[in-house]
This record gives sequence, structure tokens and C-alpha cells, in this order.
Amino acid sequence: MTCLSPSERRLQKELMSLIKDPPPGVSVDADQVEQNLFLWTIHMEGASGTLYEGERFQLQFKFSNKYPFDSPEVTFTGSNIPVHPHIYSNGHICLSILTDDWSPALSVQSVCLSIVSMLSSCKEKHRPPDNAFYVKTCNKNPKKTKWWYHDDSV
Amino acid sequence: MLQLLSSKKHIIENILRIYIKTSGNTLCIDIDPKYDIRQIKNIVAPKIGLEPDELKVIFAGKELADNIVIEDCDLGEQSILHVVKVKEKVPKKINDYGMKPLCEILDDSMFSPISESRNNSISVEANDVAHILNNDTDANITSNQQVLVKKIHFYVYCPTCKGLKQGKLRVRCNFCKSGAFTVHSDPQNWTHVLENKQITGTCENDTQFCEDILQNREPTFAEFYFKCSEHISLGENDQAVPLYLIRPNLKQIQCLACLDISYDAVFVFPCQNDHVMCLDCFKQYCMSKLTERQFWQHPEYGYTLACPNGCADSFIKEIHHFRLLDDQNYDRYHRFATEEFVLQSGGLLCPQPGCGMGILADTDCKRITCQGCKYVFCRLCLQGYHIGECGPIENDDLNNQSTSCESELSCNNGNNGEIASRTTIKIMTKPCPSCKTPTERDGGCMHMICTRAGCKFHWCWVCQTEWTTECMGDHWFG
Repeated sequence: MTCLSPSERRLQKELMSLIKDPPPGVSVDADQVEQNLFLWTIHMEGASGTLYEGERFQLQFKFSNKYPFDSPEVTFTGSNIPVHPHIYSNGHICLSILTDDWSPALSVQSVCLSIVSMLSSCKEKHRPPDNAFYVKTCNKNPKKTKWWYHDDSV
Repeated sequence: MLQLLSSKKHIIENILRIYIKTSGNTLCIDIDPKYDIRQIKNIVAPKIGLEPDELKVIFAGKELADNIVIEDCDLGEQSILHVVKVKEKVPKKINDYGMKPLCEILDDSMFSPISESRNNSISVEANDVAHILNNDTDANITSNQQVLVKKIHFYVYCPTCKGLKQGKLRVRCNFCKSGAFTVHSDPQNWTHVLENKQITGTCENDTQFCEDILQNREPTFAEFYFKCSEHISLGENDQAVPLYLIRPNLKQIQCLACLDISYDAVFVFPCQNDHVMCLDCFKQYCMSKLTERQFWQHPEYGYTLACPNGCADSFIKEIHHFRLLDDQNYDRYHRFATEEFVLQSGGLLCPQPGCGMGILADTDCKRITCQGCKYVFCRLCLQGYHIGECGPIENDDLNNQSTSCESELSCNNGNNGEIASRTTIKIMTKPCPSCKTPTERDGGCMHMICTRAGCKFHWCWVCQTEWTTECMGDHWFG
């Protein structure tokens, strides 16, 4: 076996636990991760009893070799981007734990859970008010955007 | 032949040189670690003109009973034993307590486990392990799964060896600093060891000092300190700093960052949940926080970090823990800490590249002369000194260049080799409108957040004023 770097070891462990014991409605595309440990695709189902029931989404996680000290770059990808006041139509997510409030104690699983709960608590489906402008001008990397975190109550 | 050589070597190793400190002088004797205290008394008594029965041997806060064998006391080469004359000839009732050595009997590992690992608790089974240093009041440590603890050590930063080493706990009188001191009870937790006046004791030193205290009926207190156990003692002042958040991972708790279980020492954050990181990850954590200037200037503890889980009141109090950083990063830690301290005390840093000297000047004084490089500059705009209003800062050529957001403190300090010239800093950066820290934008949006942990001001790269919803509406991305 080749010697793994600390971030590879950690990602390997997270992957195993996510495959073995995934949170409800969340599954990882293991084949794809096998190609590249630093780029994950996660499938997510809208929880029943919420506005997103029956919908399927795809999340992409990009990790740097400084992970978990550096936060992963997380975006929605694919054809169905959830319509949500904190999610831009290009897939960027306005969620503080993905930038300012990231901590090495968080994980792919805890990020997924936060996103699921963010979707579940939504009362009205609409895009962020500044969506059109943001999507036109922003950087490809959502971590290059300093967010003013929108009101948490939505 | 080989065997013969090695057995010879074995004999040589068995000689231990120790010092015996009596009220008048210090003797140096060579002993066999297999000797017991009675034999020591027999050797020492004629040299100081007393009978062996008149002597009391004190080591690390305890009077040692006659039958204790030296090698069980963890006495290092050139350690000091204190010998005093017994004051009253009343035969003392021998009780278990007080007749055992204090050294290395403390188990500091009992950081409370995260619930699921509780059944893994540890029972201590070693003759010389008498007490358990337990920060937790929950001393429920009996369990069927008993793990034998070989030897439990403290971790210290040793200024002589320059690094993280195992340490030994020692005791002296907090008043006269004499090691001829016996404690009335063993310390039970880190508070007893680290704080003043926690454990009372009897000072056996003959000097008038402590007699006076006794006559005034004030109790004498023990003062605990640590020595490095990895080099030969260089005398009583050769001390080490206890890195008490580093503990043996007896409970085999997972590192919160790499998820590995390291079997050696781990770093336990001073938070309610006792979050654990392995030492490698702790170094990484410090390095990434240092690079981002996210250490926090705590009013009491200094430049420090908290638990990465964001637990309340979890700042690291003993900043010597950052000694785990390599020399280069520890120097950087020091420099950043000093800069942050100067800025928070209302001072300023010389803007001249390669200087960066901290300057504390009267707040109403606008013309500042750096004591280091003699540069004369304006307190308000940090440009060369001028009379009248501060001019606009030239940055016209740059507005159309799409560069960054990750704002970075440019080095305005003594890092000679790699510093951009003053002009480059002027062209590439804009000062934070609040703390004037030169900030570079390397892509992303116009919403800047000052990366200095002590500032964190939200500002607009275009307007160079506080970030507003108007900025977001007009020119979020330029």
C-alpha cells in the first residue's frame, strides 16, 4: 500500500463511514470518488414532508490537501439546483460553515446534515434576491465570495 | 565476549550520583539504585555527625520511609535528596499516607471521555501509583476492563532540551523555596498543582523564615514545579514549563481532525467536552490559524487559540503550548503576537517594509518618527509625513485588474529576504479603513473582511469605507 497523506487518510475514513452509515437521504458516489479522492459527488434527496420532497440533488465537494484545516469547496451541481433563498442558481451556497465558521471538527457528513436541515426548514421556494447579479459576476470558487449571511430564520 | 561487555556496562549504569542537601551543606554521594532509605541514612549520618535515627529523608514533598528503595522513587542522575534532623523524638504512627514518594504518582490522563468511550475507563495498578490526578470530580474509574498503566508522565517544555519532553513533579516551600518540605496531602488535580496556595505542608528548613510563619500560625503552602526527566538535572533552578493540556491518550480517543487514534500524547482542549487532537494535527491547526492571523489576543492569556469546535471559554491559557511549533513558526507566532498587542494597545507599526517596529505614541501626535529605521510618517494615512489633510491613496491603475478577495496582511515586518518593496505594497494593497493594515485582494468580490483577528472590519474595496448593502447592490463583484 502506498503511504497516504494526512488529508487522504482522513478523507478515506470519512468515505468509509459515509458508505457504511449514511445520513437519511444522502449517498456518496463511491465509483467517482475512487477516481479522485479529492473530488466527491454526493446525491441528496429532499426530505419527506418538506418543500423538496421527491426532488433529487447533487452536491460536489472539492478538497484541498490542507483539508480538514482548509474548508471544502461545496456547490450544487447537475440539472436540478434547489430553489432556496440561500442557494444561487449556479449552485453556490450561502452557508457560514463553508467559509468563516469552518472548523476541522466538521466533516462531509456534518456539512450534508446542515444542508439538509437548511432545505428542510425552508418555508417558501425562491432564489436569493441578488441571484441574477451574483451569478453573472461572481468567481467560480464560492470561497472567494465574502457573504453577508442572510437571515438564518428562512 | 559481547555478553561480557554488555554485562560490564550494566554494572556501570547502576551507579547513581545524587546530592544530599542538609541544613548546612550539600554532599555528593554515589549509590546503587537498589539501596533503600535506611542505607542512605547510614551513609549520610556519620558525615554530618548525627545518628541514622535522627534523620529524615525528604524527596518531592514526602518523607521517605526506611524501607523505600531508591529506584522506586524515579530519582534521576544528580537529583537532590533533602536530609533534615528529626525535631521531636516522638515515634510517629506509621500510616500509609505520607510514607510513599510523591513523584510520578499522578495520573493526569483523566480527561473526561466522550460518552461512548466511557466503558474504556482505566484503573491504575502500580505500586508507586498512589493517587490519580483527576480534573473531573467523577472518579468512577473502576471497571472490568483494567488497563495496566506502566509509567505515567507529565509533559513539559524544557528550555534546556528545547522541546516537548516528559517531566517530573516536584515540591518546595512556597515561602522559603526550600525543597525540605513535606505536603499534608497529595494534589488531586491540575488546579492543586498550578494555582498558588492549594496544598498545605510542613517546611523542614531550619532557617528562621518559616518558623516565623508558623509562630504567626499561618499555614505554609506547597509550591509545585516541574523538571525535565530527559536530561541530567542542572540544579534547583533547572525547571520546565508544564504543558498540562498534553496528556497520554490512555482512553484512546480519536483525534478530531485526522480521526486517527494516537497511542501517545494528545492535546486536550480546555473545553467542557475535552476535545482531543493528536499533536501533529494540533501543530497543523496552529500553523493554519497563524497564517490566517486568526489567533486571538486574549486580555489575560495573550495571543492564543480556542477549541476548533467553538466551545465556550476554551482559550488555551498556557501559551507555552505553542512551543510545539517549529522554531521558524514560533518566531512568527511571537512577532504576530507583538504586532497584535501593539495595535490593540492603540499603537502602530512602522509602515516601512523591512521595519515594522511597534510604536506607542501619544494619540494626538500626528507626526511619527520610527525609532528603528527613522522613517517619519503620518499617523493617519501611514504615508510619508505631510502637513495638512491626508491625500487620496493612489491606486487608479488597479481598479480594472481583476484580482482577489482573500485579503492578506502583507508583511510589514523584518522578514528581509522576501519583502515586496514599498512601492509594490503601495500599488498592490489598500489599507483596511479601520486598522490601516495593508490588504491585498487576490480575486473574488469587493467585500473585504480585514483578516486581522483583532479587527475583522467589513469594508468595500471600491469605496474604501465600511461595506454596505449599497456596495453589494452596485459593485459586489466590481
